[in-house]
Amino acid sequence: MKKLKPLAAIVGAGRTKFGELWYQNPEALLTEAGLKAMESVEYGLRRKDIQACYFGSFLYQVTNKLALIPGYMSRELGMNIPMSNTEAACGSGGSALYNACLGIRSGEYDVTLVGGFEKMTDRAGKIIDDLMFAGDPHEFDAGYTFAGLYASMMARYIHDYGDSSDGRCREALALVACKNHHHAVGNEYAQFRREFTVEEVLNSPLVADPIRMLHCSPVSDGAVALVVVSPEVAKEYTDTPIYIVGSQQATDDVSICSRESLTGIKATRLAMEKVLKETSMTMRDIHLAEVHDCFTIEEIFFLEDSGFCERGEGWKTVYDSYESFKGSKHIPYVNGNSELVVNAGGGLKADGHPVGATGVRQVYECFKQLRNEAGGNQVDKELNVALCHNIGGTGGIATVHILMREL
Amino acid sequence: MSEPITRRKILVDYRIRAAKCENCGRVYFPPKSFCDIEGRGSRMREVDHFYEKGTLLSCNVIRGPTKKFDYLKSFLSGIIHFQGDNLKVPGRITDYVPPPEEVDVTEFIDRGVVPRFRKTFTDGTSGLIYYSSMNFSFEDDYYPFQQYLPIKPSVNEKSSKPGIVGYGVYLPKFRIKNEGHGVLGVVERTLPFADEDTTTFAVEAGKRALIHSAIDSRYVKKCFVGSESAPYAVNPSMSTVSQVLELGEPYEDGFFSGGIDSQFACKAATDLFIDAAALVAYSTFGGEYVMVIGADNSQAAAGDPLDYTVGAGAAAFIFGKRNVIATLDCYVPYTSDTPDFYRREGEEYPKHGGRFTGIPAYFKHVGTAMKAAMKACNLTPKDIQYVANHSPNGKFPYQAAIEAGFDKEQIEPGLVVKYIGNLYSGSCPTALAAVLDIAKPGDKILMTSYGSGAGSDAYIFTVTDAIEQKRERSITVKEQIENPHRQYVDYSTYRRWKEG
Repeated sequence: MKKLKPLAAIVGAGRTKFGELWYQNPEALLTEAGLKAMESVEYGLRRKDIQACYFGSFLYQVTNKLALIPGYMSRELGMNIPMSNTEAACGSGGSALYNACLGIRSGEYDVTLVGGFEKMTDRAGKIIDDLMFAGDPHEFDAGYTFAGLYASMMARYIHDYGDSSDGRCREALALVACKNHHHAVGNEYAQFRREFTVEEVLNSPLVADPIRMLHCSPVSDGAVALVVVSPEVAKEYTDTPIYIVGSQQATDDVSICSRESLTGIKATRLAMEKVLKETSMTMRDIHLAEVHDCFTIEEIFFLEDSGFCERGEGWKTVYDSYESFKGSKHIPYVNGNSELVVNAGGGLKADGHPVGATGVRQVYECFKQLRNEAGGNQVDKELNVALCHNIGGTGGIATVHILMREL
Repeated sequence: MSEPITRRKILVDYRIRAAKCENCGRVYFPPKSFCDIEGRGSRMREVDHFYEKGTLLSCNVIRGPTKKFDYLKSFLSGIIHFQGDNLKVPGRITDYVPPPEEVDVTEFIDRGVVPRFRKTFTDGTSGLIYYSSMNFSFEDDYYPFQQYLPIKPSVNEKSSKPGIVGYGVYLPKFRIKNEGHGVLGVVERTLPFADEDTTTFAVEAGKRALIHSAIDSRYVKKCFVGSESAPYAVNPSMSTVSQVLELGEPYEDGFFSGGIDSQFACKAATDLFIDAAALVAYSTFGGEYVMVIGADNSQAAAGDPLDYTVGAGAAAFIFGKRNVIATLDCYVPYTSDTPDFYRREGEEYPKHGGRFTGIPAYFKHVGTAMKAAMKACNLTPKDIQYVANHSPNGKFPYQAAIEAGFDKEQIEPGLVVKYIGNLYSGSCPTALAAVLDIAKPGDKILMTSYGSGAGSDAYIFTVTDAIEQKRERSITVKEQIENPHRQYVDYSTYRRWKEG
């Protein structure tokens, strides 16, 4: 692999626990994560060093009746620098980082703070309705929920690729949940730190047949922040920056109905093609992937959309990898000579899915893993290249980042 | 949802309207102004899929719906593919109640589905009611697919006398049985699914009438919807029917047609048969056809004797002078101020005078009108093949006809109330339709309506040869009554769905 020119570097990261955080406002959560990120910078970071903030959030206007997040965060952080909030549904956090990278690549900024947050439990009773803002209104009028949209994609996937699989395809879709809950046990910030068996997943309450409750990521509160700087100044802040070497984004029709396929995400495929081209990598070069597993089918889509597996083969990789795994820690996906650890911290499924925070949380997890700072949840193998995959809605937007410890 | 947003959605959702590129044939939903492939120079035209059928690309069972759909509890939502235009749209599957255990939804994939005009949801009890045709029922279930193929009229089709050009009856899939041998001769009754109301009934019946008559909807210049259960106190069902069925010459996003909702208890529709016939014979009217629909989700308070006889559904009749299947030969109205049955503004259910609704009300008006009509035409019961009376139950219409000199063979074909219940404004028209379903050219039919308050209209129709050629395009009342896919529900479900 040729030596890559980094686009940006991450020198600090902080997050809150994910879950039902009844006692904090969203801006306070973001402040907590932001201050933790600043405090984590090895050689220190003063607030006045930060030149711009990029936030990502989806529903705060609805869940908390707030707008103008820059104004709130100016008050919370005591700064008057440029700030913006990016809304791209569940892809808001990844988009915020993408925008920060553009800010740094343009030469305008050297030091930025990137944050993602969501406060979903303040409106738990109506959150199923609120999430449909990220769907086409005709999907809402057809009675769809988000789980329903993914359930229709999952049903078609089972029909096209798994109907003659003696139930193994459906089992694989449950195993994704089992694996990610297994990964979350050692994650001190995760919303759910317990194991689930395949039987428990397949007997959990029906949400949108064929999706059951344990195929779904939860409703969560939480915030995550990163200190993202230009590569040129990174070593002023730490000896071990994590470099961003690829940052790409693609979009597609907001409605699943108007897409080319129900059994994959075109925006993921396009963004992956671009980022692998940008970095001259293949999926075999990636050691760790934080994947947008809002529903377990989405993790399998990623395996196929990224090229790690052939179309329709993702579930077999999941099934065989899980069945053949003999260890006790992270369960990698194995396809031929390729091995990929996916969602080391539990993913959206078990770590939690405070929508706008998720894309930033994925980078946080990779940052910690690549720096060997994940503590009891550290992946038990040498890691140098990690990928973050964050999508919005049912695939209306996909943002991917590739991170490296050693260039 | 705001009123302007609703209006914009109506234009797309009522007809499943999309935009098609005339160069490459690519179709876009919702409609857009240019083709992604051909660019901004592309020529786009609107296409609609209201009369098309599709297939299910995929679906799921929604178990935990959004608040707006709580009223349906659990249901199927899916992605529908219209193969002709290669168009995919989201849609809800209606008339289907999923079982509590997991449904293998992959088994539904590739099944044919038919668009249905239904409620999507409502904004509480005081806000707007939202409708869409992007609800679908399975083609191989209760509701079959029918093509709409208007036939260009020829000058030879002119009839000297106005009459019925075509008709359509819509009876919902769901039924409730009355215990034992029935109540007042009513054995079972139709009821609305949770997303149906009087307006959706009217649209379905009107759609079937257009298909049956094979006329172009743009020549229907007036539409009357008679009902005593209109979903809005102010805001006509008729304008919804006209928008969905595209009645009248289109202009911008409206139509050159008119009409009203009418109210006169159960004769709100039949009263206007004569007006419809008169209009098409009146040169200043300037239109070819008039549609009259009787539709009701017949209301009754829980436990009231009426609660065991009320049904739900609609019948639509198109009047004109071309290719008439039954000429309108006689009309006799009879009216008096008789307060036998009434509902005050704002009240949910009607009240009635019990036994007073019989002899001084129903029998007096129906009997008087029937006899006067026969006398006016110089006919005796022997000259008439069928009787179609308003049917509040199974006994009144039978007894009234017997008292007027008719026998069982003349009465039974129109006595469909036994299996569908009292359709209020749709009752008498449905009985007429059931008779037309089997009538032969030359047959005479005496139809007599009754509306509380009170009045009756007696009509005599003579069936023409044209009835035979249109028969293959009808879904008969008997077919709907005996449809093997009809589904029975318990009393609590019946009450819940009936009250919407």
